[in-house]
Amino acid sequence: MSHREFNVIVTIQNKSFINDPEGETIYHDLILKNQYKNIKSVRTAKVLKLVVNAKNPLEARSSVKKMCEDLRIFNPIVSDCQINLLCDNNN
Amino acid sequence: MEILTSSELNYLKKKLNREPNLLEKEIVGAQWSEHCSYKSSKKYIKLLSKKGDRIIKGPGYDAGIIDIDNGDVITIHIESHNHPSAVEPYGGAATGVGGIIRDIISMGTMPIALLNALRFGHINSPFASNEIKTSIRTNNELHSASKWLLKNVVRGIADYGNCIGIPTVGGEIEFDESFTNYCLVDVAAIGFGKRKNLIKNIIQEDDILILAGSSTGRDGIHGASFASKELAVENRSAVQIPDPFMEKLLMEVTKEAIEANILKAVKDLGGGGLSCCLSETSANLNKGFDIDLGQVPLKYNDMAPEEIMISESQERMLYITNKDKLKSFAKILEKYEVPFAVIGTVKNHKNLVINKNGKTIANMPSHLIAYAPLLNRNGKKPKYIDDLRVKEISVTPPHDLNKTLLNMLANPTIASKNWIFQQFDHEIGLRTIVKPGITDCAVIKLNNNKFLAAKLDGNSKLCYHDPYQGTLTCLSEARANLISAGAHPIGIVDHLQFGNPENPEIFWSFKKSIEALIDFSNFNKIPVVGGKVSFYNETKIGPIKPSPVIGMLGLIKGMVGVSQIRPSPEDTLYIIGITSDNMGGSEYYEFLRGVKGGRVPPLDLQTDLNNSRIVLKIIKEQLISCSHDCSKGGLAIALAEMAISSNCGLNIDLDKLPNTCERLDFLLFAETPSRFIIGTKNEEKLENEFAKCKNLKYSKIGKVMNTGDNITFMAKDKKIINLEMKNAKRYYENISSIMKNQ
Repeated sequence: MSHREFNVIVTIQNKSFINDPEGETIYHDLILKNQYKNIKSVRTAKVLKLVVNAKNPLEARSSVKKMCEDLRIFNPIVSDCQINLLCDNNN
Repeated sequence: MEILTSSELNYLKKKLNREPNLLEKEIVGAQWSEHCSYKSSKKYIKLLSKKGDRIIKGPGYDAGIIDIDNGDVITIHIESHNHPSAVEPYGGAATGVGGIIRDIISMGTMPIALLNALRFGHINSPFASNEIKTSIRTNNELHSASKWLLKNVVRGIADYGNCIGIPTVGGEIEFDESFTNYCLVDVAAIGFGKRKNLIKNIIQEDDILILAGSSTGRDGIHGASFASKELAVENRSAVQIPDPFMEKLLMEVTKEAIEANILKAVKDLGGGGLSCCLSETSANLNKGFDIDLGQVPLKYNDMAPEEIMISESQERMLYITNKDKLKSFAKILEKYEVPFAVIGTVKNHKNLVINKNGKTIANMPSHLIAYAPLLNRNGKKPKYIDDLRVKEISVTPPHDLNKTLLNMLANPTIASKNWIFQQFDHEIGLRTIVKPGITDCAVIKLNNNKFLAAKLDGNSKLCYHDPYQGTLTCLSEARANLISAGAHPIGIVDHLQFGNPENPEIFWSFKKSIEALIDFSNFNKIPVVGGKVSFYNETKIGPIKPSPVIGMLGLIKGMVGVSQIRPSPEDTLYIIGITSDNMGGSEYYEFLRGVKGGRVPPLDLQTDLNNSRIVLKIIKEQLISCSHDCSKGGLAIALAEMAISSNCGLNIDLDKLPNTCERLDFLLFAETPSRFIIGTKNEEKLENEFAKCKNLKYSKIGKVMNTGDNITFMAKDKKIINLEMKNAKRYYENISSIMKNQ
């Protein structure tokens, strides 16, 4: 089976029970001050958009996961790391 | 994890005369953790000499206070954030800086400088001994963490200090296998203020307690007891997230409120959260508090009372003022948009009473909470100490001393720390007189033509071989660093870091370290103004080596005689002090030759004092142009550092050196304490001065050459070392090369 390109989105954010001062600052000092009262909370995250060569979606995802762990792209003690396949480039 | 030991629980029950509820147990558990209560170490810390003409407050407070005349005061404190940094280096190191800054603010002074002392496992170095290289290869996974920890700890410290606008002016770093997959992160902060503005800490019934800053969340729950246990994976949620901008606002609020004379008492929230902050303040000020827990601003509405009381959410401060001034204080807090809440009132009873929804949910005497029952720990001399001392060591003399010196220069413990301090804003605030690396210590401008010198020093390898002599050597080195800049020492802070104190061998080392502090401080009449003890520093491969870190402050009056390590061309170089061939614990043995053992160089307190005095005198009389202490890496490293800093070559004649060494490599790299290298163009006057000192060992050892010349060492008329400057510099920048690709 030949390799194809996959768009992979990696989202790294503080775990839900860990503070996010940046998100809080955006919420209080920007959003609420400008009267967007319907917005109830903000959490910030770091997003990496990767184009990955792989045989299949499973391999694309697992190779990105391995890379993130090997290179300490995130600290599993503080952050959650979500890996999503955006779409198949050949489709 | 049990909150209290069974004997502590029984003691608590007996004192309360009833069964404590869960909340009460949690409050007491946080306060009685080793981290907050000093239950193993307090008996020994009390023996330290705290008396001195300049000391306003010594150990036992958020920070020590030193009078520096003209109504000015200096505050200093040191703390570590080892456990949090080992699992989340960025946040752990940054919140460590945050905590120490709040300690300085709590005294009524403003922080003007930060320092740090860091310890990591080996970072990959091609120049290390084969033993170290093999260890790095075989435990690659554990070792790969060292660079990650170093990078993120430095970034955490830099980001926090840089964001808040306090310069990080100096530091110290050591790499050793005992810190593999772990790290020691010690940070010290120096504050400056007016004696009249110090917080009085006198409160009366009906005064108001205000909690200000970040709201209370679930971060750092069980942080204090986490720091008091060996590192275990399940504890790893105890991490804290830094918010330097909130800290900056708290600083501004406190400053303005002090100037308006609003604050009666201030205390920061650190380890143990509200539990420790409220019980300690209540006990210290001898008043009771009625607290309404329902008023504490929360991140999550469903937090249980136990969680609220022991949460270690960062950037929070407790202020106490009276009813009349509450309005003006609220105005200041609102101006800076700092969230706050009135959480209780001061009472004449002496209890900490916690209420929620109109019900009392905890009620205990504050003294009972704040003063844990102290422990009698046993100490036993570790067998390894005698084994190492008498061990037969055969190390063949190196064939190529040029290469040996280059490899020593590349040793990360010795090499240039440029890569690290380039990340720190060391000049913000405009008080930094000399940049890091120019003198042996940081020099900060105060006012009235006064300057403060500060330095942190540690040496885990020596302290492992002999905790008493090792600690003395750290103290001597810290003083030598201040003296080299022309400062008069005025106070010591200590941070004693050891493994599990329940192990009698570790506790013995701790006691020896304290003994050294007591002896040095009494002999030299330099008081200890503050300190901290950190136990349970254990890694997967065992306890850390004993790692006391010593901080020392010195005062310089008038800019005349601030000395630098950088010599100028044509300077004549002298050495003060005798070099002996005790190589135990030296960087030469451990890093380069992969050998442990041997005798540690002994330190003679009288010689150490005499040598320091003469150096300070000749600096003050402006007889010398440069001075540098001889410490890690010994004479050859000290001289090479001087050459590199000035870009000038040196010509050194080793035959002239006062020494008892049988071998050239020992002479070059022995770490005998109490030695200084000085440069002068006033040979005659200097030698006249030396002649007045009885028993002073010194000699003229060589000359500074011109820019671009080689670093040359001669022995028996032969060039035994002849290094090109650019080669020396390349090896000396090894940390930058290692970290470049990280």
